[in-house]
Amino acid sequence: MRKGQVIKHKWILFAVGLVVVILLGIGFFARDQIFPPEDRTWQTMQASGVWRIGTDPSFPPFEQLDANGQPEGYDIDLARQIATQWGLKVEIVSIGFDSLLDALQAGKIDSVISALPYDERLTQNVSYSAPYFEAGIRLAVRQDSPITSEEQLVALKVAPKIAVEWGSTGDMVGRRMQREAPALQLIQFSTPEEAVNALVQDQTITALLVDQVTLRQMQGKGLRIKAIGPVLESNPYVIAMPHKASILQAKVEQRLLNLQASANATKLEKKWFDK
Amino acid sequence: MRYRIQLQTSRPLAIVAIALLIVGLSVVIIYYFRTTVVLGPQQTVETSNPKMGVHTRLTDEVEPWKIKRSLEMVREMGAPWIVEYFPWGYMEPKPGQYNWAHADLVIDHANRQGLTIVARMGFVPEWARPKGTTDLYLDQDHFEDFGRFVAQFASRYAGKVKYIIIWNEPNLGLEWGYQPVDPAKYVAMLHLVYPLVKAANPQVQILAGALAPTLAPPGSEAGMNDLDYLQNMYTAGAARYFDILAVHAYGWHSEPDEPAAKDVVNFRRTELLRAIMVANGDSQKSVMITEAGWNDHPRWTRAVLPSQRIAYTIRAYEIAQKEWPWVTTVCFWAFRYPWDAKSYQDYFTFVRTDFEPKPIYLEVQRYAQALVK
Repeated sequence: MRKGQVIKHKWILFAVGLVVVILLGIGFFARDQIFPPEDRTWQTMQASGVWRIGTDPSFPPFEQLDANGQPEGYDIDLARQIATQWGLKVEIVSIGFDSLLDALQAGKIDSVISALPYDERLTQNVSYSAPYFEAGIRLAVRQDSPITSEEQLVALKVAPKIAVEWGSTGDMVGRRMQREAPALQLIQFSTPEEAVNALVQDQTITALLVDQVTLRQMQGKGLRIKAIGPVLESNPYVIAMPHKASILQAKVEQRLLNLQASANATKLEKKWFDK
Repeated sequence: MRYRIQLQTSRPLAIVAIALLIVGLSVVIIYYFRTTVVLGPQQTVETSNPKMGVHTRLTDEVEPWKIKRSLEMVREMGAPWIVEYFPWGYMEPKPGQYNWAHADLVIDHANRQGLTIVARMGFVPEWARPKGTTDLYLDQDHFEDFGRFVAQFASRYAGKVKYIIIWNEPNLGLEWGYQPVDPAKYVAMLHLVYPLVKAANPQVQILAGALAPTLAPPGSEAGMNDLDYLQNMYTAGAARYFDILAVHAYGWHSEPDEPAAKDVVNFRRTELLRAIMVANGDSQKSVMITEAGWNDHPRWTRAVLPSQRIAYTIRAYEIAQKEWPWVTTVCFWAFRYPWDAKSYQDYFTFVRTDFEPKPIYLEVQRYAQALVK
C-alpha cells in the first residue's frame, strides 16, 4: 500500500469513528425523547380514577378549610376543573407546606397545587407547570390616578411617597427603587392592610408596593386601587409533578393553556378574590 | 521512508494535542484568577452594640468571593461576632487525612473583616460511625476520634479561633443521631474532648450545651426539655468540662420582653438556663447565644410580621447589651443561605442569596451605626 493511501484510510476511519461517537452521544442525551419513559403516575391515575393533590389548607383564598372542615379555595377549584376534563375525581391530601414536595417524591400524592412558588433549584427533583398565578410585588396606585408606570412616578416633580409594609419584600423592592431614585420616599406601615389603607385614604401618598395576593384581596373588598407596570419581584405559583410523569405534565400544561384562553380563569379569580 | 509516513500521520495528532494543552492551561489559569480572592486590608467592626452577632452559613458556599462578600456584609451591618459550622466529616474524610482548604478560607476572611469566630463542631465522617446511621450519630467508641479532630482544629487555628462549640442541640433525637438523648453520655463526650482540646490550645474556650429550646414531654423520642437536660448535665459533672454555655433562644411568635416561664419557649427562656447555671455554682461562666431569631414567613405558624421581626431583633440585641451582663454575644440565625430553601427557612435570613440586603439588614445596620455616628 502506498503512503498516501495509508494516510487517507486513517482519516476516513477517524471520521467514521467521530460520527459514531457523536451519534452515540446524541442518543444518550436524547434517549428520553427517542424512547419516552413510562408515566406510571398517569397510569395509576387512570386506573384509580383519582388525581391525588397535596395541599396545605392554611393559605386563603388559595386553600383553606370551610365550615365543615373540607378544603376549599382557588387551588382546589383549579384542580377540580382540570380533573373534570380528564374524567377523574380529585382527592385532596392535607400536608404541611414544607413537606409537600417530599410527599410528591415519595409517591404519596400525584401533584402539588398549593400556592407553590417555582424553585429552579428543585427542577432535578420535580417538574413544574407553567405559572398559573403571579403573586409577586406590584406597584399600585389609586383607581383615579393618572400615573401608569414606574417611570412616571419617579419623574414626578414633588418627591412621591410610596406606602410599604415595613420589612416586607415590597419594602425591599422600594429600597431598591430608592437606590436608583433617591427622591422617592418610603412610608412604612406595620401591616400590609395599613399600607393599602394609607394609599386609599391619604392623598399625599402616591403609590403602594404590595404583593399581588394582598392587592387582589383588597380590590375584592372594594378598595379602588389598581396595579401599574410589570411585576417588580416575581413569585409565580406553579403545579409540581413527579419528574417522570411526562404525560401528566403535558396534559396539565394543555389544560392550563385552555383555562387561560377561556373565561374560566377570570371566573376562578373573581370567585375567590372578589367576595 | 516508514519514518516519514509516521511523522506525517502523527502531525495532526500533535497539533490536536498542543491545542488541547493550550486550552487546558488557559482553563487552569482563568480558573485560578477567577477563584482567588484577595483578603484585602485588615478591617474592624464599627458598632454601637459589641454583642451583636449572626450565624453565617458558609459551609456549603464554594465560591471564595461569596464567602468574602458575606463576611464583609456582616461587618458592614455592625456585627462583630459570627458562629460558623465546621463539619468534621468534611475536614477529616479519612482518619488522619485532613482537608483544611475551606476552613482556611472562611477563617482567614472572617479574621480580616475583624470578626470573632465561634466554631461549631459536629457532623461525623462515615469512617467514624456504623453503616446506616446518620452523620449526627457518634457512639462512645469514637468520642476520642472526635476529640482528636477538634484538638487538631484548635491547634491549627490558635490565635484565630478562640471559641469552639462541642456538638449542636444534643437534647434532640435528630441531632443525637436518632439515639435516645442522654445528658450523661453528652457529658462523657465533653469529659473526653475538653482535655484533648485544652492540651492542644490552652487559650481556646469550650462551649457546651447549644440545646434546642423544647417543651418535649418526659420520655419523648423527639427530645428532652432543655431545662431538664441542662440540670442533668450538671448532675453528671459537666461543669468541669466547659467554659461557656451556648444557648439557643428562638422567639417564635413571642416578643422578646415576654417573661420567661418553664412552659413557654421564648427569647427570655435564656434566663431560666442562666438560673440553672447559677444554682449549680457556675455563675462565673458566661453565656453565648449561638442561635436565636424570629421568622417572617407569610405561611409558617411560628412566624411574626416582618415589622415585628425587625423590632424584636433589635430589642433582643438591646436586652443582651443592657440587661444581661452575663451574655457575651447574641448570634441570630441565619445571615444568608448559599441558595434559597424556598421554604420558611428563607425568612430567617438578613441577606438574600444574591446579596441584596433585606430591610431587616438595613434596619439592624442603622441601629448599630446610630451611636457610632
